[in-house]
Amino acid sequence: MDNDLQLARAVSEAALTTEGVYSLGTGRYAEAATYGPGEKVIGVVVGPDEVRVHIVVRYPLSESIPALAERVRERAALSAGGRATMVVVEDLEVVRDENL
Amino acid sequence: MRIFNRIVVILLLAGLVYLGIATVVYVFELGPYQLSDLPNALGFSGLYEGLNSYVTSIESGNLGVEDVVILVAIALLGLVLLIFELKPPTPRRVRMQQGTYITRRAVESKVSPVVEQEPEVLQSNVKVKAQRKPGARVDVSASVRSGEDARSVQSEVQNRVQQHLAEVGIPVSNLKVQVAESDPRHTKTRVK
Repeated sequence: MDNDLQLARAVSEAALTTEGVYSLGTGRYAEAATYGPGEKVIGVVVGPDEVRVHIVVRYPLSESIPALAERVRERAALSAGGRATMVVVEDLEVVRDENL
Repeated sequence: MRIFNRIVVILLLAGLVYLGIATVVYVFELGPYQLSDLPNALGFSGLYEGLNSYVTSIESGNLGVEDVVILVAIALLGLVLLIFELKPPTPRRVRMQQGTYITRRAVESKVSPVVEQEPEVLQSNVKVKAQRKPGARVDVSASVRSGEDARSVQSEVQNRVQQHLAEVGIPVSNLKVQVAESDPRHTKTRVK
């Protein structure tokens, strides 16, 4: 369980530090999270064979959504301990250009 | 199919609850209820007799047209249910590449504003379906005032949506646009 939490934290950090990711998604019908004693990591679901990352993409995009999702998947896979990694683009967040 | 299964299970469980309560009432002979009356009270005696005579007539080969129709209907219903049960469920998310998905809601949120950018469109409704193969199935229905050139609006909306989704990289396997004339008093936007 602790290993799952550690893994979820690492994957969450890898996803959030990817350029173009605004935040992690929370899931819609069921909360997308990994649970541990007194703690949960929202946006990453660690299963026995698979790690699923839910992301919210920053809009306007610097690259296409599939390319960004693939980049997040590659980065998350490095922290996923050999488990299959899946990325779900949950939403797009329109961010104002700070230079305007 | 999931909803059908749930309905069947709910009915089955409701039946079991009823049966359980009836059994308890009859076992403890509460009020006028006697255990020996239970099969009659539940209507099982008539059911047994009817079923027995039906099976006997089938076994002896005395099949009427109605019997054949009922048996064929049961067989067909079983076949249809079997096919639905074996059919893999439709995925909830749109597959982009191997291991990357986008939610239907996210696709809808990208398509709706593009459709409503079209000056003639007063209101739109976008439905996105995920498929087992990569790409979304997008159904757009747009409302325009009567007298508008529906065909040109349809082709314009189709081009806009296709172009926008290609720009952001959301794969679309099937895009269908329907344009219908509507009374502006009943649409989200009256004037553009």
